[in-house]
Amino acid sequence: MSRPSTSHAFTNVFDTLSRDYLQGKEEVLRLSVIAILVGGHILVEDLPGLGKTTVALALAGATGLSFGRVQCTSDLLPSDITGLSIFSREEGRFSFQPGPIFNNIVLLDEINRAMPRTQSAMLEAMEERRVTIEGITYPLPDPFMVFATQNPSDQSGTFLLPESQLDRFLICTGIGYPAEHLEREIIAAGGIREKVGSMEPLVTTAAIMAARKEVQTVYLSDKVLSYIHNLVLATRSHDLILNGLSTRAAINLAQAAKAAAFLAGRDYVAPDDVKGIAVAVCAHRLVMRSDMAAIERGGVIRTIIAGIALPLV
Amino acid sequence: MVAIRSLAAILTYVIGLCGVIPLFPWLTALPRVFLVAGFLSGLWQDLMGRWKLKPWMQNTAIVPVFLFYALQFSRVNPIQPVISVLAIMLAVRISGEKTVRDSLQIYTLSIFCLASSSLFDLSPVFLIYLGLLLFVVAVALVLLTFQNQDDTMAVAMPELKKILFSGLLMPVLAVPLLLVIFPIMPRTQLPLWHFLNQPAIRTSGYSDSVEPGSQSSITPSQTAAFRAEMSRQAQSGLYWRGTVFNRTDGIRWSRNPRVPAERHEISGRTITQVIYPEPSAVRTLIALDRPVGIFMRRVKRSPDGVFELIGTTGSRLSYAVDSLPSGLIQQRNPVDRLFYLQLPEDFSARLKALASKIARSGKDDRTRVEQLEKNFRNGGFRYSTRDLPTGDRAIEQFVFDKKQGHCEFFASSFALLLRAAGIPCRLVGGYLGGEYNELGGYYTVTEDKAHVWVEAYINGSGWTRIDPSSFATNAGDVWKPPGSRSLKLRISQVLDSLNHEWNRYVITYDFEQQINIARHVGSRLRLANPSKILRSSVPYFTGILLLAGLLFAVRKFSLFRSRERRILNRFLRMVEREFDLSAEECASGLFEIASVADNCHVSKFVAIFAGAIYHDRRLTDSEYLRLRQILRFLKG
Repeated sequence: MSRPSTSHAFTNVFDTLSRDYLQGKEEVLRLSVIAILVGGHILVEDLPGLGKTTVALALAGATGLSFGRVQCTSDLLPSDITGLSIFSREEGRFSFQPGPIFNNIVLLDEINRAMPRTQSAMLEAMEERRVTIEGITYPLPDPFMVFATQNPSDQSGTFLLPESQLDRFLICTGIGYPAEHLEREIIAAGGIREKVGSMEPLVTTAAIMAARKEVQTVYLSDKVLSYIHNLVLATRSHDLILNGLSTRAAINLAQAAKAAAFLAGRDYVAPDDVKGIAVAVCAHRLVMRSDMAAIERGGVIRTIIAGIALPLV
Repeated sequence: MVAIRSLAAILTYVIGLCGVIPLFPWLTALPRVFLVAGFLSGLWQDLMGRWKLKPWMQNTAIVPVFLFYALQFSRVNPIQPVISVLAIMLAVRISGEKTVRDSLQIYTLSIFCLASSSLFDLSPVFLIYLGLLLFVVAVALVLLTFQNQDDTMAVAMPELKKILFSGLLMPVLAVPLLLVIFPIMPRTQLPLWHFLNQPAIRTSGYSDSVEPGSQSSITPSQTAAFRAEMSRQAQSGLYWRGTVFNRTDGIRWSRNPRVPAERHEISGRTITQVIYPEPSAVRTLIALDRPVGIFMRRVKRSPDGVFELIGTTGSRLSYAVDSLPSGLIQQRNPVDRLFYLQLPEDFSARLKALASKIARSGKDDRTRVEQLEKNFRNGGFRYSTRDLPTGDRAIEQFVFDKKQGHCEFFASSFALLLRAAGIPCRLVGGYLGGEYNELGGYYTVTEDKAHVWVEAYINGSGWTRIDPSSFATNAGDVWKPPGSRSLKLRISQVLDSLNHEWNRYVITYDFEQQINIARHVGSRLRLANPSKILRSSVPYFTGILLLAGLLFAVRKFSLFRSRERRILNRFLRMVEREFDLSAEECASGLFEIASVADNCHVSKFVAIFAGAIYHDRRLTDSEYLRLRQILRFLKG
């Protein structure tokens, strides 16, 4: 078994962050790293004050990527995100002032508070990876990753993201409360914002781009491919589900599984990798039957997975 | 990938052939021509992929044919027109493009054709065609449902295997049902139509009179006359008695049905046989000489040991016989000398002179018979079926001039001389010898084994069998034992025994026979003591248990699974035991198992195994050895 050389660096990023900075947030960190490796976006759904912003900042700090932040409100305009042209008296012409979206990692805090108009402009940029303002197209930097958050409990004055746009997020996950002893340590140590802000980068941008290429070469066997396909088919014929997974979801599942295998230091995908990221990749894309909307979708995915035999030979 | 359409087309031709081949020999020339042309044109068009014959042309072509045969249909000729129309319809259907509907019609017509062939012939080959047809039709029907959905569909080899398997399953599942239905369904023992215009059956040998000199040569035929199930006997004792000729006009011997009464001393060892004669118009029942009793209804028994069937003949039958094979029968009442010494008025003077010379040479019957035997042995007679004496004086020519002839000449001349010498005698017609089939445990006697010999009444001992043909100088060549068992002979014997079993268990099967078997088994069970039954059934039970155990082992211990599956199962069992994992945890992924077990050997095993499996390749030999080594570490 050959171990991809660049995967060392990413295991290192992951290990350092979870050991020294973000104790108890391994899962969201791992999924964030997978999102970077695949080039996808991540949506974190959880209550405020559980460290969503800190995770995004730490990720930016460890990778040495530029970081932009947008706090969404109901009066946020698309141009507040993308930027706009301002007339310069000295030069006698309009010059473009790029908005926060022209960063490698963009934190969209409380994305469900923005108007649908702003949301769709944002999500279009996520998909196209470029912004067109007043007839001029500006490419977004590469790597580019949106780290969106939303607060599931406070629903007043919010605009829920439509299913079609949820599908654009590679991964949707929560953070959860840290374990008791970890939380006591965090309280004792106080905030770590300053510590995160002064972080030295652990990988270079070039290494990220090389790792992305390598992830694509991870071998996906026929057995695992049929496992993924069976999983997707099972969601389409499930009783509780109105619309199952799309083909894009299946592609994303395979890509994320490759990245997970890469992080685990393997050059092939095992069914375990698929299992490990299936809930994060699939759950938010399911459209449940109207009378079943209250059911937790992660649980549905877990029961579907339990019903499909893993290809062992 | 295999295109469903072409596969279905091939199967359609197979089905058509299965229906046509058994019927073909019974068809007239016109339907034969139609069939050959239809198959050829259908094949050609299918190969070209263009169908010049349009359905309306085919349908129009059938109309005049149908009218033609409808006019021919009559009470005396009901079958030929029907099967001709059937065959021509099949030929027309098969000649054009085959849509799903056409294919279904072809299947139906083929089954009808095969079924109608059984009107002419009930041979085991029918079963082969029927089995083939059922299997192929089942598969083809499955294929047709696919073709009906999508005409251009193609399937990969594994799917094709599944289809073939399910097709095979249907007829196989039907077999137990067949076995249940078989005893209660009405059956025929003769081909329903064909028995009426059966061809002349016995072409050589056995007849109801003996007339040496009527032909200058005879051609023996090798067709079977009958089969006799019995233990193996000495070849020289195999005289099969048919009829007895007791009246002569000097040339022709015939049977006077008013046979004088005989009461026999029956003693000695009897041989039991079951005889299966080939269907024929002859009413005489053949049995090993000399039959004491034939166990069958509607049989007339003559005092001289001739058994005749009363009523219809021509169907297949079988009967059990008890025989005394000694060749000597003692008679308690005095023999009717006048009846058995009868000679024609104009008996040849030369023969008469020879007979009186023999009569003078001995003082009792025994020495006279021995003298005549010596005369024949030393006379230089040759056994031959060609260049025979003919005409009214054929016997005289045979005895004094030509000195060559077949058994009829020997027996006839010997008997005439015996009668002229004052010794009562008669001719017995039947068969001599036979080929023993070790596989089936029966003798096959062919028509060319037909034979005639002499039975002489010798005062003091009784009716004695004398075979004058054995006195010929070349008797050794003619009666030589069967040569070495060549492969061809063995194969023909296997085929013959198959044919025999078919006749025995299917064609001549009757309900009475089954009841007899059941009754026999019942009485045997009452007599037998339970412990003996238990002991004798031990091997069967052991056999069944062994078989079941083997099947279980195959399933459970994966005897015939791949190397990968075997070593994985060992690994999973071991992990479950050593690390106390639940079966549920073991059903999860390999890397999950490794992380739960948290053991370096387990991790190593998983890394090597998954590295091969999820790269879509088999384990290499070195990897396999390494894995086995790890398993040993795990155990230790």
